[in-house]
Amino acid sequence: MTSILALGVHLPRLRLQRAAMSSALGWLTSGAGAGKGQRTLAFWDEDSITMAVAAARAALRGQDAAAIHSLSFASTTAPFVEPQGAAFVHAALRLPETCLAQDVQGSPRATLIALHSALESGQTALIAAGDLPPGTPGSLAEARAGDGGAAALVGSGPGLLDYRGGISLSAPFTDRYRANGHDHPQEWEERWVREAGYLDLVPKAVAGALAKAGLSAADIDHFVLPCPIPGVAAAVAARAGLANARLAASLAETCGDTGTAHPLLMLAHALETAVPGQKLLVAQFGQGATALVFEAGSVTMIPLVSPQLAQGIDEANYMKLLAFRGKIAWDRGLRGRFIVNEALSTAWRYSAALMGFVGGRCRETGRVQFPPTRLTVGDGLHLDTQEPWPLADVGGQVATFTADLLAFSPHPPNCYGLVDLNGGGRLLMEFTDPGAAAITPGTPVEFVFRIKDIDPQTGYRRYFWKAIATPVAS
Amino acid sequence: MATGIKDKVAILSMGCSRFGERWDVGQEELMVEAYVEALSRAGIEPAAIGAAWYSSHYDDIGAGKAGTPMAQALRLPNIGVTRVENFCAGGTEAFRGAVYAVASGAVDIALAVGVEKLKDTGFAGLPLASRGTFGPMYLPTHSNPGNFAQLAAAYQARHNVGRADLKRAMAHTSVKSHANAVKNPNAHLRKAITIEQALNAPLVAEPIGLFDCCPVSDGAACAIVTTPEIARSLGRAPAVTVKAIQIVTSNGWEVQQAEWDGAHVHTARIVARAAYAEAGITDPARQISLTEVHDCFSITELVTLEDLGLTEPGTAWREMLDGRFDADGAMPCQIDGGLKCFGHPVGASGLRMLYEAWLQLTGAAGGRQLANPSLALTHNLGGAPSQNVCSVTILGAN
Repeated sequence: MTSILALGVHLPRLRLQRAAMSSALGWLTSGAGAGKGQRTLAFWDEDSITMAVAAARAALRGQDAAAIHSLSFASTTAPFVEPQGAAFVHAALRLPETCLAQDVQGSPRATLIALHSALESGQTALIAAGDLPPGTPGSLAEARAGDGGAAALVGSGPGLLDYRGGISLSAPFTDRYRANGHDHPQEWEERWVREAGYLDLVPKAVAGALAKAGLSAADIDHFVLPCPIPGVAAAVAARAGLANARLAASLAETCGDTGTAHPLLMLAHALETAVPGQKLLVAQFGQGATALVFEAGSVTMIPLVSPQLAQGIDEANYMKLLAFRGKIAWDRGLRGRFIVNEALSTAWRYSAALMGFVGGRCRETGRVQFPPTRLTVGDGLHLDTQEPWPLADVGGQVATFTADLLAFSPHPPNCYGLVDLNGGGRLLMEFTDPGAAAITPGTPVEFVFRIKDIDPQTGYRRYFWKAIATPVAS
Repeated sequence: MATGIKDKVAILSMGCSRFGERWDVGQEELMVEAYVEALSRAGIEPAAIGAAWYSSHYDDIGAGKAGTPMAQALRLPNIGVTRVENFCAGGTEAFRGAVYAVASGAVDIALAVGVEKLKDTGFAGLPLASRGTFGPMYLPTHSNPGNFAQLAAAYQARHNVGRADLKRAMAHTSVKSHANAVKNPNAHLRKAITIEQALNAPLVAEPIGLFDCCPVSDGAACAIVTTPEIARSLGRAPAVTVKAIQIVTSNGWEVQQAEWDGAHVHTARIVARAAYAEAGITDPARQISLTEVHDCFSITELVTLEDLGLTEPGTAWREMLDGRFDADGAMPCQIDGGLKCFGHPVGASGLRMLYEAWLQLTGAAGGRQLANPSLALTHNLGGAPSQNVCSVTILGAN
């Protein structure tokens, strides 16, 4: 039996109020801030890679990462055309070198395509999705989108969701496109997308998946279909005959459509109310359609999505979206004009430390340090005595702190200080996420993989680990 | 067995340019200003100089690399010029090079010059210094106020001092230095300020405000050193001799191990002990007449006074408020205005402090002359509290 063994999700803390979007550009366009509620907004140092990593770390908690055979990074907003984002996700998660890593892209359906493929392969696979669906300022797409990450670990044996069967249909149905070198999508008429697209292709896929699973439409208890267009999921459910299925919440008013992350995000949310034995059908549309049938397994999980939905921070300034995404040429000042030297050979040499946050622990003195070096910190001469010491999950406490208004930051003040690592060692780190300025010495922190710097001239970005205050609940 | 540097080298002469936002000059003219003063006070010809050391921190602004910018600016007689760079201790490092050259007997007379032309960046504050290729990949995007502000947060926690009390002590530190600099014609900032002005200044990096920061200044300072015997043969009494020069550099312990409390500077305590031992000082708080410490930020001055053993740990903020370090206090500190008001041209600052110590010890400090000083201490702290180069030099009147 192949199953989804674990799920993980990540929602950025900021919740951009649609009323604020409307207030900013509603005088100009009808789409600005359309809809109610709020949408998630990735912080300046979050992108599809970091959100996929955050979600995958949550999914892998307590799981055997060393057994993973393949990794798929799913996104329509990978930061690089080259290299592949999966290589960064792979490194941040410290997956085995033998793990195949690939990018899947081109459609929000990329996640389910990769998931379908993994489920059929029977091998242990990780699908990590992260997306910041782009929209032209003031557009409906911008208002409806949200930013987020989600991940699924697939493998044999009983799990959260036991796979019963699925199908993927392919069709050259282009509802929207974004040509290479263009920042924003062009969308065709919504009514056509709904009638000729969703309502035709998704019911076909649903029927195909049910046939593979040996189930009828009436057997389905939960139907998960992400679609930014309101009302479409319900219409598809009716057309497909899913009469007994509970329609999974779109999270439109609390989160927005998170692109490749959304099917897994909605699935994780639906699972919060599912009981063992119930049948769930997950589908997504995009140049065809994929439909996958699962049975809720005996393994239960703590709610993943609701707590994160509840931890949002209201953001009433629409300009932050434009500034974070580089859509306005804001005044960085001369101090912000420093060179981000990519030094690719240096980055590769220290990739375990930089991407995987692996320090060293001296076998002779027991001292932990970052970065690892040939000679151990402290008294005495201890040469080549360090063993790799992963730090990403150890957490720590703040020793010194400042909120710096002079140092360059895309979201001043830039907050940083010394962090004492649990289990030994200390490191000067940046603190991130809104509210970092409230950190004080003694604050417990945990570590997140984030963008370190972006070079506005070349577009190059590099990643490292930062500290955030440990959420009180955890 | 090493015997130390005590009394082996005398200061023949020193010079110092006017510090400030010197829009009118570049680093060449600044060096010439300091050099001509020192040369004329020494009464020697350039040909008498056997070797030279040159300190400059930023080579991307200012003069560039190597010794040639100084050799060319001062038209030195084809002698060896060694460029040194050791953060804010660079000036002291150049001085050490010249002193050691004389003490070794390799040359009779040596020259040390420090210079920095900072006001060609287009913005306030120091530019980011190069940290190689690997460092910027994981170290925070920082500023110098941010680096030193962390001392304040840790100091408050370590010594249970409230933010308001510490801010007031920091303000007093700056008010004192502003008052001192009014009497110094070479100083960058020559205007007295009030406690309220300091307290109400905009924040730069919590809890450091604008008046807790030294200015970014252009300037140069220089020293000509020789042996006491040669000083005498030149018809000059060896009025001031070097009692100690010590430099200590962090090895990563503070920043990589959770053992240092962040409320003091580890290297400063080590370097002070070494310098006192070299100079034969047993009770620094009583024996030292004046100090020029590295007050890049007011909190640095407070913590340094403790690290140098001039006051007990956790008490400097109160002693500062009580006036002990004021010009008329028991231990005047920063009598020339310090980095805070004389200014801080990075590579020159160590030599600027020695210049003031030398003036005071020779009775040539004019309106700010202290009564009968005998031992003067200068201190530099380059880098950040968690990773730095720290120096202490002690000069004595004979």
